[in-house]
Amino acid sequence: MEIDLTLDELDPAGAICEAHENVHRDSRATFLRKATVGGAALVGALSVVPAGGSQSANDVDILNYALTLEYLQASFYTEAKRVRALRGKAREAAEVVGAVERAHVQALRSALGSAAVARPTFNFAGVTKDQRQFLKTAVAFEDLAVGAYKAQAPRIRSKPILAVAVSIHSVEARHAAWMRRLFGIVPAASAFDDPVSKPEATRIVASTGFITSSGKTEREAEPRFTG
Amino acid sequence: MHHLSQDSRHSRSELLQRAVVAGGALTAGAVVVAGLPKLASSAPSPAQDVRVLNLALLLEYVEAAFYAEARAKGNLRGELRTFAEVVGGHEQQHLAFLKKTLGGKARAKPRMAFGKATTDPDAFVAAALALEDTGVAAYNGQATNLTAGALAAAARIVSVEARHAAWIRSIVGKSPAADATDSPMTAAQVLKAVRKTGFLRS
Repeated sequence: MEIDLTLDELDPAGAICEAHENVHRDSRATFLRKATVGGAALVGALSVVPAGGSQSANDVDILNYALTLEYLQASFYTEAKRVRALRGKAREAAEVVGAVERAHVQALRSALGSAAVARPTFNFAGVTKDQRQFLKTAVAFEDLAVGAYKAQAPRIRSKPILAVAVSIHSVEARHAAWMRRLFGIVPAASAFDDPVSKPEATRIVASTGFITSSGKTEREAEPRFTG
Repeated sequence: MHHLSQDSRHSRSELLQRAVVAGGALTAGAVVVAGLPKLASSAPSPAQDVRVLNLALLLEYVEAAFYAEARAKGNLRGELRTFAEVVGGHEQQHLAFLKKTLGGKARAKPRMAFGKATTDPDAFVAAALALEDTGVAAYNGQATNLTAGALAAAARIVSVEARHAAWIRSIVGKSPAADATDSPMTAAQVLKAVRKTGFLRS
């Protein structure tokens, strides 16, 4: 393994390892803070991507598609938090995951600038009022997001956008596993996760009936993400 | 907005982590290209796919052998035992997939020794957590170095590693998803993290 010795010399002082280990001892407040501050960093990471028309039409379409899925998730968790029907670990997970999804929305909107699609209007038909219904829906959303990002990753042309997209993709998979465990099903159902094509994802989302309109005024009615 | 100074115990590592999130995703590819000409060239290519997938193969060798030994020793109970069985099965499939994909270009299986990590539940958890989080960061760090075909295949694996990481974290009461993005690691950082486990004997 002589190549490994060469690689080892280039490692920056083990800083990453230390950061990695320290993540393992966290309080809930710390999780939430990280989710929000991490979101700010994500906005920073995406902001060096030229916004508002400088990206290829291909990548703008993909980012807007991702944004739509993130709107769906963020609004769902935000409503669950407002409704206050969740208890215990489900409530904690909803808060943390919700903060992360809102951070994803903020980052994607920031990267897209004026090209960002508006937030649709949602009606979650009461699933946020019941813990089992909430968890079942959360599992479906998170598994869908994993498959959707996975299908788009090889289609992204910009390397910085791809780097951010894959780093969101694996977080969605963590969320999916977390929600699945809370729902009482195996967090990782198979050795390989399948991609979900855009037409298939669009069909699944449409079948829920949760998107009631693509109205452009809803965004003003929603609470702004304040970090 | 929360303030960074609220919890000084975490502040340094968090700053580091955020730096990784903010900068790492964008610079990881460039660092690999600039510093590791043997591992990565400037643009994705089939030859580079081989080098990247061999890095993944090293991790999968360690993971698969680790869980196989833990299952064979039979010391784990409850959900930890289920975790080792399910995840071990997945890692065996990842290993088989990568070996088949790489064919004659697959690196040799390293010699490994796991010590008490496959018998002591606390040591098992710590090792599983480190291996799974490293697996996620390793695949993420190489995404921009892969051809579209290899990326599509790697993407089917990395999210499963992320599920494993979240699962073991959840079992022991740690945040399954500690940030809005997963920090990538360069190849050098991955190798360092794997070596730090002490499991490699060759």
